[in-house]
Amino acid sequence: MITRGPRQLLAEVQEPGLCIGCGSCVELCPYFRSHGGKTVMLHDCDLPEGRCHAWCPKTELDLEGLAQELWGAPYSAQGMGPHLAVVAAKAGPRLEAGNYQAGGTVSALACAALEQGLVQGAILTGGRGLDTAPTLATTAEEVMACSGSKFTAAPTLAALNRAQAQGRGPLAVVATPCQAAALAQRRTKPSPLRGMAGPAELVVGLFCNWSLSPQGLERFLAQRVELEQIRSMDIPPPPAGVLQVQTTDGSLEIPLDEIRDLIPPACAVCPDMTSEWADLSVGMYEGRPGWNTLVVRNEKARALTEAAVESGWLVVEEFPADNQEHLMQAAEGKRSRGLGAALAQGLLGGPGDDQPKAIRVSPELYQAVESGEVA
Amino acid sequence: MQGQRRTMMGNQAITQGALEAGVRVAAGYPGTPSSEIIQNLANAADEHGLYVEWSINEKVSLEVAAAASLAGLRSLCAMKQNGVNVASDFLLHLAGSGIRAGMVLVHCDDPGALSSVNEGESRHFARMLELPLLEPSDFQEAKDMTKWAFELSEEIGNLVMLRSVTRLSHASGGVVPGTIPAPQGKARFDHHGTLLDKGHGPVSSSPVAYKHRLQQEKLARAVELFEDSPFNSYVGPESPELLVITSSICNLYVKEALALLDASGRVGVLKLGTTWPLPPKLLQRHLERCDRVLVVEEVIPFLEENVKIAAAEMAGEIGAKRFFGKRDGTLPAQGELNPDLVLKALAGILDLPYQARPKQYDRLAQELAPQATQERDLAFCPGCPHRASFWSLKEALALDARDGFICGDIGCYSLAMRPTGYGMLKTLLAMGSGAGMASGFGQFGRFGMDQPVMAVSGDSTFYHAVIPALINAVHQKSPMSLVVLDNSGTAMTGFQPHPGTEANAMGHPVPPVGIEAICRSLGAEVTVCDPFDLEATQTAALALLADQSTAKVLILRQACALSPQRKGTKPYDVKVDPEKCLGDQCGCNRLCTRVFGCPGLAWEKQSGKARIDEVICAGCGVCASVCPQGAIIKSERA
Repeated sequence: MITRGPRQLLAEVQEPGLCIGCGSCVELCPYFRSHGGKTVMLHDCDLPEGRCHAWCPKTELDLEGLAQELWGAPYSAQGMGPHLAVVAAKAGPRLEAGNYQAGGTVSALACAALEQGLVQGAILTGGRGLDTAPTLATTAEEVMACSGSKFTAAPTLAALNRAQAQGRGPLAVVATPCQAAALAQRRTKPSPLRGMAGPAELVVGLFCNWSLSPQGLERFLAQRVELEQIRSMDIPPPPAGVLQVQTTDGSLEIPLDEIRDLIPPACAVCPDMTSEWADLSVGMYEGRPGWNTLVVRNEKARALTEAAVESGWLVVEEFPADNQEHLMQAAEGKRSRGLGAALAQGLLGGPGDDQPKAIRVSPELYQAVESGEVA
Repeated sequence: MQGQRRTMMGNQAITQGALEAGVRVAAGYPGTPSSEIIQNLANAADEHGLYVEWSINEKVSLEVAAAASLAGLRSLCAMKQNGVNVASDFLLHLAGSGIRAGMVLVHCDDPGALSSVNEGESRHFARMLELPLLEPSDFQEAKDMTKWAFELSEEIGNLVMLRSVTRLSHASGGVVPGTIPAPQGKARFDHHGTLLDKGHGPVSSSPVAYKHRLQQEKLARAVELFEDSPFNSYVGPESPELLVITSSICNLYVKEALALLDASGRVGVLKLGTTWPLPPKLLQRHLERCDRVLVVEEVIPFLEENVKIAAAEMAGEIGAKRFFGKRDGTLPAQGELNPDLVLKALAGILDLPYQARPKQYDRLAQELAPQATQERDLAFCPGCPHRASFWSLKEALALDARDGFICGDIGCYSLAMRPTGYGMLKTLLAMGSGAGMASGFGQFGRFGMDQPVMAVSGDSTFYHAVIPALINAVHQKSPMSLVVLDNSGTAMTGFQPHPGTEANAMGHPVPPVGIEAICRSLGAEVTVCDPFDLEATQTAALALLADQSTAKVLILRQACALSPQRKGTKPYDVKVDPEKCLGDQCGCNRLCTRVFGCPGLAWEKQSGKARIDEVICAGCGVCASVCPQGAIIKSERA
């Protein structure tokens, strides 16, 4: 578990374009801030070690070390991370029909976790259209105000840092895979400094194939619509292959191929589709509109899911084995592409490698990636 | 006052000379080392019936003074060296048209750039514009020569230039003052004569060839007077081994060097007070004394070249000379001179053993200095609004993340090129040039430039030279942002009033011409903010950067902590709560002392925490907003 300082963070993450703007380093100190989707350093800081570097998901992410410590098992090239169950899920009768994408499972789980007292707040990504707004929600109404998918990276973890600095009690975070990885870093690399920031009590992970650069998407959309008129955006399940933009004037469909250039380089080296480091992971249910796929990864997640069903927040059904197989393949595909790209860019290292690396894996996995066995 | 020898600052001696000459009108623009001249005359204005103003810039000040001369009132204009550049267009035409009542331009050079970002030479304007040039060499002469300059001006019918330097203007010496006459005469501009009637006709440098010939005749008359001027003097043996020709304050350096070398018996010194045009007969008499000549002057070899031209012209009579000076490297052509440098030059020419410093001096100084002194850079004062402004601009440009930059300008805030202002200024040239250059940079989006550009300007600089640049930016649709750092006066030179203030140089009430009203009238969007409110300032700066459609203005208004209205008052008591300050356990890495860097903050080694130095803290309270732990507490003073 390697930790360096902010200057190294700039050199290893910012300068090569690997910063995804997750907000993990933001507002821990006076130096890092998030603005317009970018994480920026306001002033030079020469500390040799810092939480900014320790918790960043894009440098020194030791997959093998994390797996051993958090899962008690090696990091595997197969599957979609440890889990107890995969179910079909959607919001139950207690959740008002909202703006949620697909089944509303994330909102339902957040409401249930709040009601159960498991957490006192949930860090969600609110906002409309292009404006993502990481938010602390403490009630079901506040949760619902944030529902709906966002397709640009958001500094969600900055809101966690802010809430923790204010002394807020145990918190849930709805996290993308990179944000879930940042939160896993927090559980294994404790802060060397005094401060309230640390891990989250509950991590609800999201499936993610890639995100879009906020500045890139803004420039792209500005050429096609009045930005102020954007109400919401959605990427419907395959085979649609489009980004739907709802505006006050109507809707616009943009083929995904046209926006692939807006995917930040950090997503190309990401090995995680299903938020493996989360407690539960939620994603689309291909071929069944109005439903989500829910991956229950540990006992805490199982208890929450059961309570959510029992209290009417959530409805679950069986998830067909065929679909599960399909999901596994998709997760393995992203992992092999991500690790392969990381290797090709010199960002992948083994434990003994003394150069800074974005991702570290076991010698065996490194060799497998190198020989193309993982692909 | 009269008759008794007093100690006067050089600028005060010049003021006294002008008063004794019966000056009625004085105008100028503040600039070190010239500022005290107009200030002193302004202070004397009511007593002696003068009109004195701080004009919007040097050109206008010269125009105001010229108007006085044409109305029959003796007038004086004062400015620093580069002010003459600003005024030079008018100066060219005035020199061609001539004046009526005596008019003197006092221009104070700053060799070594002690308070400048140039060590420009204003002496060259005298040669270029064909005007007589006087250079006093001590304090008494500063007074006497200024008085005489008015007489000379009237005698020849043209403006006279009088050049001082920092070490004369700002040093003090003995002066015997004379009588100040009672004001007399009614102002009137005669304009009914013909264009060729210099006393009663319209005033113009045209017809050019005719007026130019007239101007050169005036100059020739000045040379006649210079031949017998008491301001040119020779001291030394009849036939010295070396003739030193010098002028200005350098005369004192030469005197000191010769005394230290005990070489006064071998070296003759020709001190010239009338340095352009050089009086040839006088020069010939002294050049005949010996074959070796050292010219001692500061910065560029102005005197040296003119002496060489004269010597070449009279070579048939005086023979060939060996010259020492700047051109052969005997003396440096940049920076200030001092007795040591002159001493070294003389010792070399005379082949005298001389060591300016003991050999071990430099080594000992290097060893001892760090123990006894702390390394310090020039810095904004504690509580300076500029520090707060540049803090916010730095953060805004960092957040904007497009590698934007700031074009700087002339004032205290020029220091923002250095660490005290976080090195935020990326250009620093002339008065008003920040806005002008930003107006240019703003246009280059068409060539792929994607960096936003800002310009900063002080309030006085805004009036002086920024307004045309801003008009240019608005009119040319240049998406630049102008940030006016309005600290409510011409702070750097001593809080002289400017068109935005409610009193003029003489302390009389005048209507302020507001900066925001001017900007709005030009069609620029204007935001006004208190720079001590870091959050609001950052938000305003970000808004400026976000909208790159037009030229915009942000006025950051907060009076300088040293300003007359603020001096001695502390808005807040500021202290560090040692319970809340986490010291090196905080993730802030000493943000307050290491990065923000107000001298009122100190890092206490013993406790490992921040502390306020109450002696110098100006109580602005900004650091309370900088501390991420809220450990710096500000409380309003009763």
